[in-house]
Amino acid sequence: MSRSDVLVDADWVQSHLGDSGVVLVEVDEDTSAYDKGHIKNAVKVDWKKDLQDPVRRDFVDRAGFEKLLSERGIGNDDTVILYGGNNNWFAAYAYWYFKLYGHHDVKLLDGGRKKWELDSRDMVTEVPHREPTTYHAQEQDRSIRAFRDDAVAAIGNLNLVDVRSPDEFAGRLLAPAHLPQEQAQRGGHIPTAKNVPWAKSAQDDGTFKSDDDLRKLYGDEAGLDFSKDTIAYCRIGERSAHTWFVLHELLGQANVRNYDGSWTEYGSLVGVPIELGDGK
Amino acid sequence: MSGAEQASAAGCGAPAGGVKVKDGVGDQAVVQGHVSSGGSPVATGYVRLLNSDGEFVAEVPLGEDGGFTFYAASGDWTLRVLAPGGIRADQAVSAQTGKITELELAV
Repeated sequence: MSRSDVLVDADWVQSHLGDSGVVLVEVDEDTSAYDKGHIKNAVKVDWKKDLQDPVRRDFVDRAGFEKLLSERGIGNDDTVILYGGNNNWFAAYAYWYFKLYGHHDVKLLDGGRKKWELDSRDMVTEVPHREPTTYHAQEQDRSIRAFRDDAVAAIGNLNLVDVRSPDEFAGRLLAPAHLPQEQAQRGGHIPTAKNVPWAKSAQDDGTFKSDDDLRKLYGDEAGLDFSKDTIAYCRIGERSAHTWFVLHELLGQANVRNYDGSWTEYGSLVGVPIELGDGK
Repeated sequence: MSGAEQASAAGCGAPAGGVKVKDGVGDQAVVQGHVSSGGSPVATGYVRLLNSDGEFVAEVPLGEDGGFTFYAASGDWTLRVLAPGGIRADQAVSAQTGKITELELAV
């Protein structure tokens, strides 16, 4: 797999946004940004309303994913281009879903909404009309998803990558610094996890660093053993979906799983080990 | 949670302008303000919060009024503004628990 199979740049999107067979999808937790302006012909997916189960802590099941994509007019053979705010966190999370449910041709817009905005490219408020489809999803590909028992079993055995900020990793903050700090769960990190904040994989404008720089970052600097399986986690699983994308899709590492329960689950578990302090 | 609007425990994203402080600051170390250019708010752009090592910590898209809010910890931080037209400006700031630190940034 090469970078061009999973990533497109803003120029590519600019010249293909009217193509049949290409569907642009903006994914965000706060979808008010889409309503104010989005890339022409892009449809909206609300990370919370559309992708999360409304009752249980889990994401939509296969039937729910099929219903969503059918309603949005996305066909099994379409090339889906995902982008969003927050440096593509939620778009990367959606990308991971599309792969979990077996969509073949899905890519991220490098830099997401931020790069598009900083380039002063056109945005529109018009919502496109797409005819509904009958989308067929596959069973979940469990090889890219980790659960809490997998995270505990990985301690000291597999690569654990904590992609939160150094202050969250150390236990000084419980949430990203753009959010009020919660008190519900304990602070800290899963023992033996390496702290490689997601932001180290991207430039200021949100685009990914080069493959060479990424290999140096995770290998030489963080000391990941690329011969071992890897589990990435953050607070709720979207920043780590961004890192899952880097390790699995850009660098082509086999056996990388995203632990979507992440710290809000692990830090609330009774009896599991927690390590405090800065990265070693 | 004290001193701030309840952010969704399910979510992790940064809404435009950040999560506004309500009912007092409590035990939060808030850094907030506005970004303007030529006297007008910069409504399209981003502010990044960097720690004392210059490492990225958080980012919010600017609100319609050019506003931003961070919930930091006591200590020294840097704010980095990114806006269309290649605008990039850094501003040092000190945060303190129980205090709202206000900044008006002109770029």
